Amino acid sequence: MGFSLSQVFLIALGYLLFLFMVAWITDRGWLPARLVRHPAVYVFSLGVYASAWAVYGSIGYAYQYGYNFLAYFLGISGVFMLAPMVLSPILRLTTTHQLGSLADLLAFRYRSRLVGAMTALMMLIGMLPLLSQQIKAVAESIQLLTTEAEPTGVAFWFCVLVTLFAILFGARHATAREKHEGLVVAIAMESVIKLIAFASVTLLGLFGVFGGPAELGAWLEANPEALTRLYQPLQDGTWHSIILAFFVSAVVMPHMFHMAFTENLNPRALMTASWAVPLWLLVMALCIPVLLWVAAAAELVAPPDYYFLAVGSLSGPKGALLAFIAGLAGASGMLIVATLALSAMTLNHLVLPVRQSRPLDESLYRWLLWARRLLICAILALVYLFYTATGERHSLTELAVLSFVATLQFVPGLIGTLFWPGANRNGLFSGLVVGFTLWALTLLLPILTSGGYPSWLFELLDISRRSPAAQWHHVAMASVICNSLVFVLVSLFTRTSQAERNAADTCAVGSLRRPLRWELEATSADDFIAHLTEPLGPVTAAREVDMALRDLHLTRAETRPYALRRLRDQVETNLSGLLGPSVAHQIVDDHLPYKPQSEQESSEDIQFIETRLELYRHRLSGLAAELDSLRRFHRQTLLELPMGVISLGADGEIIGWNLAMEQLTGIGAERTIGARLTTLPRPWNPLLHNFANGDLSRDPQAELPEPDGPPRLLSLHKSQVLGALPGERTGGLVIVIEDVTDLHALEARVAHNERLASIGRLAAGVAHEIGNPVTAIACLAQNLDHEPDADDVRQAATQIVEQTRRISRIVESLITFSHSGGGNLEGIQGPISLHDTVAEAIGLLRLDPGRRSQAFANHCNPDHRVRGDSQRLLQVFVNLLANATDASPDDAPITVRSRLVDEGQSVEIEVEDRGHGIPTSLRDTLFEPFATSKPAGRGTGLGLALVYSIIEDHFGSLRVESPVADQRGTRFIITLPGFSDDT
Amino acid sequence: MYTDRLLIIFILGTYLLSPAIIEWWSEGGQAWYRPYLMWLLLIGLCYWIGKSRDFDGI
Repeated sequence: MGFSLSQVFLIALGYLLFLFMVAWITDRGWLPARLVRHPAVYVFSLGVYASAWAVYGSIGYAYQYGYNFLAYFLGISGVFMLAPMVLSPILRLTTTHQLGSLADLLAFRYRSRLVGAMTALMMLIGMLPLLSQQIKAVAESIQLLTTEAEPTGVAFWFCVLVTLFAILFGARHATAREKHEGLVVAIAMESVIKLIAFASVTLLGLFGVFGGPAELGAWLEANPEALTRLYQPLQDGTWHSIILAFFVSAVVMPHMFHMAFTENLNPRALMTASWAVPLWLLVMALCIPVLLWVAAAAELVAPPDYYFLAVGSLSGPKGALLAFIAGLAGASGMLIVATLALSAMTLNHLVLPVRQSRPLDESLYRWLLWARRLLICAILALVYLFYTATGERHSLTELAVLSFVATLQFVPGLIGTLFWPGANRNGLFSGLVVGFTLWALTLLLPILTSGGYPSWLFELLDISRRSPAAQWHHVAMASVICNSLVFVLVSLFTRTSQAERNAADTCAVGSLRRPLRWELEATSADDFIAHLTEPLGPVTAAREVDMALRDLHLTRAETRPYALRRLRDQVETNLSGLLGPSVAHQIVDDHLPYKPQSEQESSEDIQFIETRLELYRHRLSGLAAELDSLRRFHRQTLLELPMGVISLGADGEIIGWNLAMEQLTGIGAERTIGARLTTLPRPWNPLLHNFANGDLSRDPQAELPEPDGPPRLLSLHKSQVLGALPGERTGGLVIVIEDVTDLHALEARVAHNERLASIGRLAAGVAHEIGNPVTAIACLAQNLDHEPDADDVRQAATQIVEQTRRISRIVESLITFSHSGGGNLEGIQGPISLHDTVAEAIGLLRLDPGRRSQAFANHCNPDHRVRGDSQRLLQVFVNLLANATDASPDDAPITVRSRLVDEGQSVEIEVEDRGHGIPTSLRDTLFEPFATSKPAGRGTGLGLALVYSIIEDHFGSLRVESPVADQRGTRFIITLPGFSDDT
Repeated sequence: MYTDRLLIIFILGTYLLSPAIIEWWSEGGQAWYRPYLMWLLLIGLCYWIGKSRDFDGI
């Protein structure tokens, strides 16, 4: 067609250099980030799918199989239309766990090096035909353009060129961890060029040969056989298997996986791709029948695989060049990306696991870089060898379908990864072996050899031995069905390891990972570096740990077990991006182990589950969303509870620390969650740690020392956390803390006021009591004037002294009562005689003239003693007896009796009256402040509340029964810890 | 997951019903662009779903 070989070679070199410039400019940051991360760039980069086969081979395929060619374009369109269901979960996994290839993903999910190695090896073998097809397409198109070149030589130099550019594009960094923005933009640019060239050649043909769409319509009417040739193959019933093959294999192809997931710069762009990629492919597919009809109308003599090039040549050298560039763009883009993806895959799964037996050191990054470069050379050399062995004898379609059926074998494993947590590595391994063997025997072997393949298998699968590739859809269905069956059956009947089960939960769509809270042997970030120094060397270990800390926004000072577990996961994720998941998992398992413990001892990492739930909240729908709302409501309730709440795991790790705790302690939840009580600063550490590990379930007045002032009083409660099932214990503990300093002060003031009120009521009685001795003293003093006898004077003086002592006793008793209490429980240890305390209370009440005639019966055993504060207990009996007298008629006796309970450990005191009883309306609120049945002005309503509070402070209990008998009477029953000499 | 299952059933149903679609398509005669129209309709549907849905893939 009028081009010399050197001209074409220079054009190819110029085109690739242009692409490299685009990549270089992007990598230098000269293009704005908004443009680089624009969804359109991602969409066009996915155009890598349209390889040389889409440009050349699909027209040959349409010529032979009619409209079935659409399956190639519709299959992948279907995958993208279902992106939220199929592609998003894969993208989430690859992004979260830094998985760079399908082998990484399967090795991560099935926790098996063998699976990774097998995937890499099979993918490499399976992709050789498609890669060699690209070389063949370019070599043969050059041969058609120049009509002189020998294709094998051209293919060799094209391979050299692609090797150079693959290294320049993608192997300038040590790891696949960094995104190659330049590569993405260059491939996107290539897709734009491909689309423009493809559409332009079609339009040139349409208007050049027919004159326009209307003329094309007329030609089709005149030549109905052209349409029949398109429709006819649809009737043979193969459409189903063909579209299924293209639908599923599109995602697992290494170049598609690499561009869609590994090089994804903007996850949201996937949603744009869900409609834009099908649209892009629609335009490509729309051109194909038109090109076929143009070729038919122009009666072109070229092979149908190269009709596109021939149609381009109809418009002269420019048209031919445009067609060649479109083919070159398809071939070079696919070759570069697929080679990069395969090199990363083979490096991680075939080379590194062998290399790992020797320690990795500081030269790791440099070593990785050169290993990748060498692998790129090796893979392209293999591709060239495959091409020379087979390429010349087989059509583009034969080679393409060979790869499509090979990659189809990974689909059951991928579906298992996303939708079936029950799948295991044994199943995957067996399924792959069966599927791949069938593929090799029925498709690969006939292409590589001229005979010697098993005829019985061909008969079994109903395939013609003369052209097995033409019936590739039979092989595709048969191999993938056998593969799936074996995969499912072996998975069902073999054991799945715990590690694999955990990974399955991580990967499965809709399943929430439930990580366990195991304790690591390493106790700090520095420990991590020390542990990783052995496999990675000191510099790499420090760099990797620091990078993981940065990713998690943590510092080197971190010691919280929760944070260290996250750090371990992040280190593994980062190493996975560098060395592949198998090697990374091995290194982390060997050098950052968990402490040995049984599964029962560890509990679920609630904090982590919560974090993930928060992260994926928007993905919940229906009942799950309702449950999540409920969870958030309860969580918020707990968080904003006005009392401090700490939730502890079975291993003592803090898993809950609410806002009130933050205010109370001044320590934020971010510092405490995942830590232990022992790591809290003083004085919280000893206080909470001792209480959590002590025997008492409550401590109503724990003292918290304050550096500048009186200690704070805290009321502490704790309770075991029960599981969902009755009697099940999760081993967790919840501690509730309330600052009662102010409440205690208020209580003391109330008690004091109540005493003063009592004194006021007693004042009249006191006046009367004091009045008698004063009158007596006055009489005696008057009589002294008339007593000449010294003995009489002495006797009078003695009587006066006696009367004054009586007054003193009354005054002392009052003073003692008014000053007692004050909230100090220091005297709580003392042995208190109940009989004496009750007698004293009765004596005080008798000072009240209104109560003087009341009948009291003190039946307390003088030997019954309790631990407590005598003055506060006196207050209890004064209040109870005062209430009893208010409720009882004068002649009804008020009885106080005591008895030992709890095998002598406690004393029960009953205060019983025969009064009117307690109204039903008051019973529920009896011990609350200001609850009173007395008329206004007679009672404050604080008496019983005070009694309740004092009894509680003495670790006792108070209950009431009313009526006692004959619908009358009230009985207060107090239980207090008894005092024995040995306590 | 519930929505996903429904979607899977829907897709499977469509796939099994596809002989009817193929029949309609292959009876197109001069209207050779029928499959492309169907394809375009699906693209429009995906665009509309994508627009009305806050993407939460990651």
